[in-house]
Amino acid sequence: MSSSIQYKLREMLSEVNNFHLGSSITCLEILKAVMAKKGENDVIILSKGHSAPAFYVILSELGFLSDEELWSFADLNGLPSHVIRGLPFVEVSSGSLGQGLSIANGIALASKMERKIYVILGDGELDEGQIWEAAMTSSHYKLDNVIAIIDRNFRQLTGKTEETMSKEPLREKWEAFGWEVFEVENRAGKILELLFELDEVKGKPKVIIAKAKAVGIDGR
Amino acid sequence: MVGKTIESFREAFGRALVEIGKENENVVVLDADVKSSTKTIYFEKAFPDRFFQLGISEQDLVSTAAGFAIAGRVPVASAFAAFMMRAWEQIRNTIARDNLNVKIVTTHSGFSDFMDGSSHQCLEDIALMRTLPNMGVIVPADAYATRTLLRQIIENEGPFYMRLGRDHAVRVYDDEELEIGKAEILREGEDIFLIACGPTVPIALEAAERLRDLSVGVADFHTIKPMDEGTLLKIAKKANLIVTLEEHSIFGGLGGAVAEVLGEKMPKRVIRIGTRDFGRSSRSYLKLLDFYGLSAEKVVKRVAEAVGR
Repeated sequence: MSSSIQYKLREMLSEVNNFHLGSSITCLEILKAVMAKKGENDVIILSKGHSAPAFYVILSELGFLSDEELWSFADLNGLPSHVIRGLPFVEVSSGSLGQGLSIANGIALASKMERKIYVILGDGELDEGQIWEAAMTSSHYKLDNVIAIIDRNFRQLTGKTEETMSKEPLREKWEAFGWEVFEVENRAGKILELLFELDEVKGKPKVIIAKAKAVGIDGR
Repeated sequence: MVGKTIESFREAFGRALVEIGKENENVVVLDADVKSSTKTIYFEKAFPDRFFQLGISEQDLVSTAAGFAIAGRVPVASAFAAFMMRAWEQIRNTIARDNLNVKIVTTHSGFSDFMDGSSHQCLEDIALMRTLPNMGVIVPADAYATRTLLRQIIENEGPFYMRLGRDHAVRVYDDEELEIGKAEILREGEDIFLIACGPTVPIALEAAERLRDLSVGVADFHTIKPMDEGTLLKIAKKANLIVTLEEHSIFGGLGGAVAEVLGEKMPKRVIRIGTRDFGRSSRSYLKLLDFYGLSAEKVVKRVAEAVGR
């Protein structure tokens, strides 16, 4: 993790009671990798919309948002607390969990494999039944341009994921739903490397489980 | 004008989709495993590459439709009204909030699925959809209205909810030029006005005919949102009593919408005929309507009571 970017995120969120800081920190590396890989017509869907702060920090690093805009986070007329359609690279508003993968499928079906759609899911978000409805749709239609990345930080609002609602065995669940599954340490470099590798996998949707190491509830 | 059932709502919907699909290649249809009941199966047969089966999963259905709209297509997402409502939050947070060009068309609304009972009879959808910013709400009265209004919601950018019954579609129109957002006055009247939508329009016409010793007008408010306030206020200026008829809860539906406008802009007495309860099973659609006060006979009785006859 480049410390400057995390520092920026912490500074930005210190003004707003550390709004979803933990979820944003673990999402930084994923977003960094995806933004580095994204082609011009590819789409990113931040299904875990509460990681908007991480997205904004990455956008500011890339020059799409000014520092002044960053500091307007969650202020009236400032940057919305969850991503809203119309912001750079945001095709669909988020904030309600569980919907991003279905939307990705719709774009993929409409686009006939011309573009890749990257969907970033929270591990807590996997509690939503719609995720599994959508997971069936992706594999039924063999949408190999849909790439889901799960921010596996083992935390959700109530506490540890496995105590709140067990997710494991996660790999086997996705495999059973017809997906090609990859597990990787949550580091931008490793995720990016994997994103290039899985371009070669055809005929199946793909999911990366990006595992964070020992992230505390406050993101430290 | 008013006549027999010629074509059911769902038949009209299915056939119109094929006609529209021939002209507009951007139209795609999404189904929740009810294609033979909603008649979107006709579209599938005509355009297999533009028909998408999502299985029994309405939440996934409407969100996938949102994806199609984002990618520039014109998706028609179709299912039974009652079960489409389980995706209300998806419709709210993605389709309405982002003002996406998704057309949600439900069948089997109101009491039209009479045999299946309370689980299947959707009496709340107008209220739910009407509260959503950006969302248009359309309830066609017959097969003709279904065809012409479907075409218009597809041609007009933005999200629409169209509510259809199942089979019983008594003919109201020949070829009048219906227009979304513009109510149709079907019968002039001075003292009393019956305002209806969907299958209650022919019922209102029949009730008005039976009440011909009074001056009773009838209007079809097929567009519930945006409501044609101009026509409504014109009606209310003359009439002392407004009666709304709908196969829907009286809370938040057509009656609610009419009462809201009149309460604020031209207070008049409004009687809302509809339901306050869940539906129930019946072997006959018409008997069920009568049970809930929506037969011409019951409407006549209610109006006569209200005016002291």
